[in-house]
Amino acid sequence: MRAYSAFNQEALRARDLLKDWAGVGFLTEAQYQRMEQETVCELRRTNIFLRLVLFLFTLIIVGAAVALFFVTFLSEREMKTAGILLLIAAAFSYAAAELAVSRARLYRYGIEEALAVCSVGFLCAGMQAVLPHGAEFLVPAAGAVVSLWIWHRFGLPYASLAAMIFVVWLAGYWTSSHSAQHVIVAAFYAAGLATVAAVRRRHRFTYLNDQYSIAEALLWLGIYLTINLQLSSVNLLAQWWGGARTTTEFSRPFYWATFVLMWCLPPAVLTRGLRQKDRFVIAAGSIAAILTLVTNKPYLGWQRHSWDPILMGGLLIGVALFIRRWLADGPGEIRHGFTAQRLSGKDKRWMNAGATAFGLVSPSILSPSPQTGSSDFHLGGGDAGGGGANSNF
Amino acid sequence: MTIFTRLEQWKERDVISAEQRTLLAGLSRGERFSLFLELNILLYAGILAFVAGLGWTVSTWSQQLGDVLVLSILSAMLAACFWYCFSRAPAWSRGETSSPNFSFDYVLYLGSLIWSVELAYLEKRFQMLSGQWDLYLLATAGLFFFLAYRFDNRFVLSLALSSFAGWFGLTISRWPSHQDVAYRQYAILYSLVVAGAGAILQRRGLKPHFFGTYLNIAANVLFWALLSGVFNRDGYLVWLPCLLAACGASLAWGLARRQFSFVAYAAVYGYVGVSSILIHDIHSDTAVLSYFVITGVAMLVMLVAIARRFGREA
Repeated sequence: MRAYSAFNQEALRARDLLKDWAGVGFLTEAQYQRMEQETVCELRRTNIFLRLVLFLFTLIIVGAAVALFFVTFLSEREMKTAGILLLIAAAFSYAAAELAVSRARLYRYGIEEALAVCSVGFLCAGMQAVLPHGAEFLVPAAGAVVSLWIWHRFGLPYASLAAMIFVVWLAGYWTSSHSAQHVIVAAFYAAGLATVAAVRRRHRFTYLNDQYSIAEALLWLGIYLTINLQLSSVNLLAQWWGGARTTTEFSRPFYWATFVLMWCLPPAVLTRGLRQKDRFVIAAGSIAAILTLVTNKPYLGWQRHSWDPILMGGLLIGVALFIRRWLADGPGEIRHGFTAQRLSGKDKRWMNAGATAFGLVSPSILSPSPQTGSSDFHLGGGDAGGGGANSNF
Repeated sequence: MTIFTRLEQWKERDVISAEQRTLLAGLSRGERFSLFLELNILLYAGILAFVAGLGWTVSTWSQQLGDVLVLSILSAMLAACFWYCFSRAPAWSRGETSSPNFSFDYVLYLGSLIWSVELAYLEKRFQMLSGQWDLYLLATAGLFFFLAYRFDNRFVLSLALSSFAGWFGLTISRWPSHQDVAYRQYAILYSLVVAGAGAILQRRGLKPHFFGTYLNIAANVLFWALLSGVFNRDGYLVWLPCLLAACGASLAWGLARRQFSFVAYAAVYGYVGVSSILIHDIHSDTAVLSYFVITGVAMLVMLVAIARRFGREA
């Protein structure tokens, strides 16, 4: 059922672990070299930058080739014919992805990933063109099923995210009630979560653990976003563009039930993540907790204040320092199996890359507009000096 | 074969010691779980939220609070941050030094951001340099460079480089007839200065691990500037060879140093620039799409060859 053998994937996992351990000094260079030679497998990988570029160019080629075929052979632009051709293109894309894996033994190489992504895109576009009125709900349904299949078959983490997005689309076809749509989506995600949680128990210490961990974290986040009506109400896009914030589309009991759930879910997710020692679920719980604090005032209809971010920042800093100190005071700087020490070479690489990128991006930098002589002080819009904080957030 | 089986085999063949086997097997089972990355992200997010709120509050309430109170609070926080850093910093070293404690780097980052807020407030309220914003930016960049090198802090180094870029941009905006071409030339000059300075500092052994930051920023600014020249129909014949030369250099550097971000820059920026020239005057859909198929395949073949030859590991 899976495109890659367990032996190969375990070998790749072992290589990654060896690299992490060597990076933090748990293995000497000589040990690492010797052990790495014994984890060779037949799969071909590449680094993240080439993977991204290969993904991009494969998308360009496949997209342009299909468009070229349409332009050359479809003079009438008839929808049904176009739909059928798109379905054929989807089949070809998927077959090409399978071939890239089975023959060329590509693994997270960008090419096979782009082909799989194209197959989902073409399938949905083709079905949209072919299906009669009233059966359009089959488009997101098929998209979700095929995305799940690709997630299972190729192990691509973002395919599970695509399946979740298709479910959101699907709910819109079944009912016009926004409350019911939220409930349907949350129910699908909860069912997915229950399935993943049940299945992953068997794979706690295998190469599949990460795949299930990411899927579970995404599902927790999906459930959270579905129940937090300040983030997922249907007019969110309009709100972003400056429209009025309205949640009157929901009944009062439903609205306040989601408010209660919004507060209950983050601790539950965090507890599960910490008990499982699951990095992705912990991250999902932390994000949900922060979003709850951020959206609490809008939920209650209270006015935001300029000092709210100060309080939020102070809280986050305080929590981080408290946990760090609490862990450091434990025997061997470990408490309940948790430590604040670095145990992976990967952490340092992430920190270095993140420090450069976020140091550049986070504070908006500055090309102040020419002086107007006004004494009004407004941060933002390039007015803040140097590494410039600004107020436009 | 799971990692536990492999560890057992390596221990039996004395590749690793029994202690190492126990440690590594425990790590694989999650018996020791590091929250290092999570705590750092939490601290970073907290500082950003704090400074953003500070800026928002100061800008909203400056009239009601009064200049003295605002400046006193900002100065007190600034002094506390810098006192903390200077009092706890280890002796300076030319090489990479680790932070004395978990929060040290973030206190310095907080101080640098508060400095920016206070400076902006001072200038806007009192126009102490009569609107000479570029001098503020240059001074701020200088201060941030000093702090970054003194305390070995990449966050502050990035702030310094972006402040320096702001100074370049602002200087041109003051010119009465500033135009895109002037911006472009100064962006190129900026990238050359940054790359050159980074190279010199690396050769002199001054925090050589910062060189990657210099080079990545310089490369991206340079490519954007050259691309903007190529997109400009009036002088693209000058800029296209420059873009190709930069792509060649980036590719060679990336392959020689196994830094594949530079290979990616060369491929993407080069493809976008050349394609914009070649398909600009083509109005046939078939020709344009054929171009993308053929050149896409060519790029793919080249990148696969590079990936197989040089970039095998993640």
